[in-house]
Amino acid sequence: MRTPLIRLVAAVAGATVLAAGCGSGAGPSAPGKSEITLWQQKFTDQEDAWYKKAVAAFNRSQDKVVLKHVIVPADTWDQKMRSAQAAGKAPDVYTVNYSKVPGFARTGVIQALDPLIPADKWAGLQEPVLASVEHDGKKYGYPMLVEPSAVLFYRKDLFAQAGLDPERPPATWQELIDYGRKLTTKDVAGVVTAANQIDLAWSTWGLQWNAAGHLPISDDWSAPRAADPAYKQLLQVYQTLYQQGIMPKQPLAPYADANPLGQGKTAMMVCGSWAASVLLQDYPKLVGQIGAAALPSFDGDATKPTATLGGWTLVVDAKSRDARASAGFVSWLLAEDTTLLVEFFKNTKFSKYSPRAAVAEAIAKDPAAAENPWAKTIEERVVRYAKAEPAYDWAVSLAFGKAVEKALQGKDIDEALRAADAEIKELIAKNDLAGQGS
Amino acid sequence: MAVTSLRATRARPRAGARPRPRRENRVAFVMLAPLLALLGVFVVWPLLHAVYISFFTWSFYDPAVFVGLRNYLNVLTDVEFVNSVTRGLLFSAIVVPAQVTIAFVFANLVKSVSRRMATVMKVTIYVPAVISEVIAAIVFALIYTHRGGLLNWFLDFFGIEAIPWLGDTVTALPAIAVPAIWIGMGVASLIMLAGLLDIPETYYECASLDGAGPWTKMFRITLPLMKNVILFLLITGFAASLQFLILPLLMTQGGPVNSTNLPNLFILQHFTTDLYVGYSIAAALLLFAVLGTVSAIIFRLVRSEKAMDA
Amino acid sequence: MRGAPGAILRYGLAAVFVVAALFPLAWLAMAGFKAKTEVVATPFQFFPEMWRWDNYARLLADEAFLRSLGVTFAGAALFAALSLVVNALGAYAFARLEFAFKRTIWVIVLTTMFIPGIAIMLTSFIVVTELGMLDSLAVLVIPGAAAGVQVFFLRQFFLSVPAVLEEAAQLDGAGPWRIFRHIFVPLSKGAFVVVGATSFLMFWNSYIWPVLTITDPELFPIQQYLATFRSERTSEHGLLMAGSTLAALPVIVLFLIFQRHIIRGVRLSGLK
Repeated sequence: MRTPLIRLVAAVAGATVLAAGCGSGAGPSAPGKSEITLWQQKFTDQEDAWYKKAVAAFNRSQDKVVLKHVIVPADTWDQKMRSAQAAGKAPDVYTVNYSKVPGFARTGVIQALDPLIPADKWAGLQEPVLASVEHDGKKYGYPMLVEPSAVLFYRKDLFAQAGLDPERPPATWQELIDYGRKLTTKDVAGVVTAANQIDLAWSTWGLQWNAAGHLPISDDWSAPRAADPAYKQLLQVYQTLYQQGIMPKQPLAPYADANPLGQGKTAMMVCGSWAASVLLQDYPKLVGQIGAAALPSFDGDATKPTATLGGWTLVVDAKSRDARASAGFVSWLLAEDTTLLVEFFKNTKFSKYSPRAAVAEAIAKDPAAAENPWAKTIEERVVRYAKAEPAYDWAVSLAFGKAVEKALQGKDIDEALRAADAEIKELIAKNDLAGQGS
Repeated sequence: MAVTSLRATRARPRAGARPRPRRENRVAFVMLAPLLALLGVFVVWPLLHAVYISFFTWSFYDPAVFVGLRNYLNVLTDVEFVNSVTRGLLFSAIVVPAQVTIAFVFANLVKSVSRRMATVMKVTIYVPAVISEVIAAIVFALIYTHRGGLLNWFLDFFGIEAIPWLGDTVTALPAIAVPAIWIGMGVASLIMLAGLLDIPETYYECASLDGAGPWTKMFRITLPLMKNVILFLLITGFAASLQFLILPLLMTQGGPVNSTNLPNLFILQHFTTDLYVGYSIAAALLLFAVLGTVSAIIFRLVRSEKAMDA
Repeated sequence: MRGAPGAILRYGLAAVFVVAALFPLAWLAMAGFKAKTEVVATPFQFFPEMWRWDNYARLLADEAFLRSLGVTFAGAALFAALSLVVNALGAYAFARLEFAFKRTIWVIVLTTMFIPGIAIMLTSFIVVTELGMLDSLAVLVIPGAAAGVQVFFLRQFFLSVPAVLEEAAQLDGAGPWRIFRHIFVPLSKGAFVVVGATSFLMFWNSYIWPVLTITDPELFPIQQYLATFRSERTSEHGLLMAGSTLAALPVIVLFLIFQRHIIRGVRLSGLK
C-alpha cells in the first residue's frame, strides 16, 4: 500500500523540482552588490536597443549596483505592473507616462526624488514639463523626453495629385475637411486620426484646451465642465470627418502607429511627433513627399494649444529596496552626462524633444538633426504652445473620449456631452476627486 | 459533462453502484491530497482573499481602507457594468444557438456521408478548437480589415460596398461572435455526434417501417432523444461564451462606443487603469455570482442528481 | 435526401464545413508569406505578390523563438502529466470510495469550475509570489493543474465502469490502489487522452497568466513571445502571421496524431 503513494509523491515532487529548476531565477549576485530592476515599456527597436546599451554602460560604470533590464510589451504592461505592485514585486525603476505620475504619487506608489537627486541636477528643465511630474510640491519623476501628442502629417504628392497646394496644409478645420474630401479615394483615406474612445481620450487633450480653454473638469477637480457648449465644435469636426467617410470607417492601425501614411493608405494623418522616426526609418524614399503642420485652431488663433506634451519619465517605486541606488541610476542616465541622451534623440531621428536645456543645446548643435525635416516646424508651431498632460484619473479622460466617439458614430452631440458631464460628476463622487486638483 | 448521468439512468442503470458502502477515509484522503492541496492553495484561498479585498479600497502601497459594501454598490450602480453583463448575455445568445445548430447539422451530416468523408469532417471540425484565442483574434481582424480585407473584397463581387465590420456599433459584436463560434464548434460538434450515434439504429428502422419520412424521424426521434445533449451544450456554451476576453481585447478594445465591451474586458480594463483595486474585484465576484446562479440552475435543469450526490 | 441531388447537397454542405473550419488558418499561413506592408495592402491582394520564405525562415533561425516553442512544449507536457495524475486520483476517490465530508468536498470542487479566472487572477498572483515561484516553469505548470472540470469529467467516466470488474478484484483481496492501477487506468486510456490533450492545449494557448508571472524572456511561452511582435507604434504583421502559424502547427499535428483517440474519448467518456 505504501509504494504507489510514495511513487506518486515522488513523481509530483520530481515534476515540481524539475520545473522549478528550469527557472533561471535571479542567480547568485556578487557579494556586496545591490541588485535593482528596470522595467522598460517596449517602444521601437531603436529605443529598445538604446536602453539595452545604456544599462550595460551603467553596469560597467560602477561596481556597487547591478541593474537588471526587462522589456515589457505595451499591451501587457498594465496587467503585469498592477499584479507586481499588489504582490510587492514592482521593479525599482520603470518608465512611465507623465499623465500617470500625479496619480501614482497621490496613491503612494512611487517616491519623491528630490531627497535622492541633488537640487543642482534639476536645473535647466522646462517648467511646464517639470510641473507635470510634481505632486504636493515634490518631484516624482525625472523627465526624459517630450512628444507632442498631435501633429498633422500629410502627403505632398497626394496633395498635388488632388490639385491642392503641397506647401499649404489646411489652416482651419473647414479647410481640413474640404481637403480631406478632395483627397479621399476608394483606396486612400482623406485623413486618419484616433477613432476609438481610448485613443480619443488622450489624443484630443490638446484640442480640448483649444476648443474651450479648459479641460472637461474644473481645476480643483470638484465639478465637471464637459457640458461647455464650446466643446460642440470639437465633436462636430470628428462627426463630420467620420460620417462623410473622410476618415476610415474602421481604424487602419492604432492612433500611435504611423504606417498608414507611409503605406499610402491615407493622405493626411494626425499622430504624435514620434511618427517621424517611423517614417524616416521605414519609408526613407517618401520623406521629401511628407509635410508636417500643427493641427488647425478652432478660432484660427495659431498660438492656442493643439497638443499636449506627452512623454516618458523614469520613476522609483515606493517599495524599492534600494531607493538610493535606483535614483542614482535615474540621475546617471538622465541628469548627468549628455552624450548617451543625445544618442537617444539621434536614434529616434529627433522625433522627440528634450526638456533639459543642456541636452536640447547639444542636439541643436548636432548636424544630423537636419535629418528630420519636420522637427523645426513641430517645435515652433506645436511644442511651443502645447500644454502639459492632465493629472486627473484616466477615467475622466475616458469619459470625454467616449463622448467624442459617440459623436463620431453619429450620436447627438449635446446628448454625448451631457452624458460625459454626468459621468465625470459621478467619478468625482465615487473617487473623492474634489479638491485634489491644483 | 453532466450528461452521462442522465443517460446513465436510461442505459446503464447499475453503472455507478457501489459494491460496499464502507468508509475508506485514509486511502481516499491520500488520493485526494494533491487535488485538494492544489485547489486549496491556488483557487480556494485566492477566492477567499479576493472576497476579503473586495471590501477594501487599496492602492497596494498605502494601507487598505475598509469600505464595507461600497465597491459592490459602485459596481451595481455603474451603468457600464450592467450594460456589459447585458451585452455578454446578448453575445451568448448569438454564439450558443449558432454553435448548437452548427453542431446538430454537422452531426447529422457526418452520419449520412461516406466513412472517409466522415473522418475528414471529424478531424477538420476539431482543428479550430486547438487554436488560441490570440491567434483567432489576429486572423479574424485581418479578414475584417475594412479596405484590403478578405471579407469586403469578397462582398465586392456582389456589388456590396465595404462594411466596417469592427468599426460599426451594429456589426462589431456579431463580427466578434464569429471567431467565438469558430473556436467552439469543434467540441460541440463531436459531443453532438457522440450523442447522435448513441441512438439505436433500430428506432429509425421501426419508424421507416411505419412509413415515417426524414422530417418525422427528426422531430419524433432525434430531437426528443437529443434533448439532454442539446441542453448540456446550451448551458456549457453559455458559461464559456460569457467569459470571452481576448477576442474583444485584441480585436476592438471593447469599441466602438463600448459595443463589444464584454464583462471580462470591462473588469480587466478597470483592473489595469483604476488607481485603487477593490472595484474590479467586486465586479469579478458579482460576475461569479451570475455564473454560479446560472450554473446551479443548469444542474437542476439537467436533472443531475448524480452529479451533485457524490 | 436520397438520390443524386440529395448526395450532392450533402457533400456540398460537408465541403462547406471543411472549408469553414480550415480556411481561416490557411489564410493565416498565407499571410505569413507576405511582406510587412502586403498583409493589409490596399487594393486587396489574395495571393502574395511573391511567395517569400523570409518570415518563416527568420523565425526558424531565431533561437529565441525556437526556445520559446521548446519551453512551451516541455511545460505543456509536464502540465498535462501533472493534471492527469492529480485529477484522475481525485476523480477516482469521488467515484469509487466512501469518505467523510464527501458531499461537501464535492460541492466545493464543483464550485471551483465556475470561478471566472479574472476574479482570482490578482490573488493567485500574490500566492505564487509569496511562494517564490515567479519566473519559473513551475509557476506555469503547478497552479492550474488541479481543475474541477477534469475531475468532473473523469469521475463521470469512472462511474460508468461496471462494478462487477471491481467486485471480482476485491474478492481477490485487491485494495483501492491496485484496483485503480490495474483496472481503471487500463480502461481509461481514451478518457486520459482527452484530459491530457485538453490540458496540453490549455497550456499551449494560455496568455494572460504567463504575461503576469514570467518576466525572463528565456522562459516566455509561445503566446507571450508572439506578443512581442505587436507594438503600439508599429507591428511586424508578416512575422506575426508566420509566427502564429508556426505556433499553431505543433498542436494541430499533435491533434492529428491523437485524433482517433480524442474523438473516441469524447464518445466513451460520458460526454454523450
